[in-house]
Amino acid sequence: MSRVIIAKTGLDGHWRGTLLVSRALRDAGFEVIMLGMARSEEIVSAAVDEDADLVGLNVGGRVEVVERILDDLAAAAPGVAVFAGGVVPPWVLRRLEARGVEVYPPGSKLGDIVAAARRLTRRPPSDASRAENALQDHEERRDERKAEQ
Amino acid sequence: MSEDRRTASGIPIKGCYGPDDVPPSAGAALAAGPGRAPFLRGAYEGMYRTKPWRIFQLSGFGNPADERERLLFLLRQGEGGIIMEHDRNTADHLYDVDHPEVVARREDVGLTGAVIIGVRDYETILDGIPIQDIYTHPGGAVVQHAPFALACYWTVAKRRGIDLRRLAGTGQSDFFLTYVGCITKQQIPPSAGLRLNGDITEFCLENLPRWVPVSIAGYNGADSGLSAPDELATVFATAVEYLDALAERGRHEPQELSHKVGGVNFRVGMDFFEDIAKLRAARKMWAELLQRRYGIRDEKARQLRIHVVTAGSALTYQQPFNNIARGTVMALASVLGGVQSLGVACYDEALSIPSEHAHQMSVRIQQILQHETGIDAVADPLGGSYYLEALTAELEARAWECFEEIQQQGGFIEALDSGWLHRRAARRQSEQWAEVESDARLIVGVNCHEIDETPFEIDGFQGTTDAWDQATARLAEVRSSRDGAAARHALRELERVCRSTENVMVPMMQAVDADVTLGEIGDVFRGVWGDWEPPIRP
Repeated sequence: MSRVIIAKTGLDGHWRGTLLVSRALRDAGFEVIMLGMARSEEIVSAAVDEDADLVGLNVGGRVEVVERILDDLAAAAPGVAVFAGGVVPPWVLRRLEARGVEVYPPGSKLGDIVAAARRLTRRPPSDASRAENALQDHEERRDERKAEQ
Repeated sequence: MSEDRRTASGIPIKGCYGPDDVPPSAGAALAAGPGRAPFLRGAYEGMYRTKPWRIFQLSGFGNPADERERLLFLLRQGEGGIIMEHDRNTADHLYDVDHPEVVARREDVGLTGAVIIGVRDYETILDGIPIQDIYTHPGGAVVQHAPFALACYWTVAKRRGIDLRRLAGTGQSDFFLTYVGCITKQQIPPSAGLRLNGDITEFCLENLPRWVPVSIAGYNGADSGLSAPDELATVFATAVEYLDALAERGRHEPQELSHKVGGVNFRVGMDFFEDIAKLRAARKMWAELLQRRYGIRDEKARQLRIHVVTAGSALTYQQPFNNIARGTVMALASVLGGVQSLGVACYDEALSIPSEHAHQMSVRIQQILQHETGIDAVADPLGGSYYLEALTAELEARAWECFEEIQQQGGFIEALDSGWLHRRAARRQSEQWAEVESDARLIVGVNCHEIDETPFEIDGFQGTTDAWDQATARLAEVRSSRDGAAARHALRELERVCRSTENVMVPMMQAVDADVTLGEIGDVFRGVWGDWEPPIRP
């Protein structure tokens, strides 16, 4: 079972988003660890100690705080995927996406978030299957787009 | 016509209503008219002809000087009062800016509200603002922060030589924000919060007759998921908890206290008629509850005054200018429900704290309603509508049911501590969002009409980026320039009173006057009362 850590980057306690997402991930079979409002070092050590596959960051503050967490995670737990959601204005969304972080702003479908979690937690066991995964990713995304139209 | 339609809270609704749908019980309440108990039709007889609703918007970000500039801007736009929103990192947690939790997120500081570390910052913000003539909410939405925020504001007034008896405004110290909607990392437990709210209420009763000491904010429960009847029930379950605790102290009669507790807040969302009905039902329920439970017959003591904030959660990230239309519809419902003051959530709500333009639009929406539509001419203009009266009665019945359910659990604080409230809110939140995902409920730009062919994108207000640096410098300045012995003495006195049954507001006024800082107050509170263990992990 894939393990996902959900953490809030800031000290703003509004929780409706994290709770909805956590519940949807649990319903989809993920093991969700709700970390609450956590500092970068707490998120990193939880990711390592809990052997997490994915970290979901609920953003309620500045992008610099998020970027510090991303840097720390990349250094200490490079295999752990990260995605984000929350009050993320478009310019922040673009900045995070530019460094490879998928971002789900308010109004995102839980179905899309769950699909992303599945995609991001698929651990590639070898180079051969990595290519296979990439192909599968491509097809899934194409199907998702079709379903949307 | 066969289609099953329900209100947002799930009340089944028909395609058309007639005289038979109006319950006989509505007749007497309707006949009483506005300004008479049970106030179904309005708090005041003349309603908006004699007292237009107050345009009352939240605002706050960055440094004290930024906050001052925005408040002056809003006053120039025609706001009827000021609401000071503080930085969540520091204020809600009672942390100074050098607290490790704050330092770890220093860039966040000042994003969600102004950074106000002590009374000197209040003086900067309020410089040149004639507070003797302005209705103010000086902050303190979160329970543990309220005594500090109020004491700072009142101390500025005292230093200016203004008689506190002249000051008008409102506190908040809201249990829904603090313990349900926006749970902090550290917070004193609800029992301590109840004591502080009691102290604020008694202090106001004795020193500030024109001040609403605390304001129960159903908004924060409703925007976390509570339905309209649940919001009504929980607001009054909280009020009863306050009144019972104050009655136990025995210093004041329930009749004196009920008026102080009767300035509340509700959320108005996008279910137009249900939310109008909710505000009407609220006034009636309060008047009847006070008579039934405390034997209060005096009408003025049973008059509920309502502040509304339109639902932030109803506003979308997608196509943000659509939110101006949503704000207008929600503002209209609020006015038709008979509010005394109104804040319209700004169109950029889902992206950032408000830009000047978004703030201005929230004021203008209200001014257009006040000056151009004629809806202020007649009190309760929808009163007597078959549908609205049926809905008001049904909401009231469902709300009393929920109120009783809470009483059977031992009251509001029990329901809070056990997580019952949180589970109830979370369940409905999930159900509501599931309706959007399955397209059973449509939201323009989210699950229908998503394609924006002429996108008017906004990037969200970015605020100031030096709030932490500046506050760090101010903190050092305060610590080095104040009378250290006086500050230490004030803190010891505050701690002594917290451990006694005396009123905390007395030493709090002395402490802020001695330049005690936010974090120092927090250390005293945490030392005396410890931390609340939330039933959910935010």
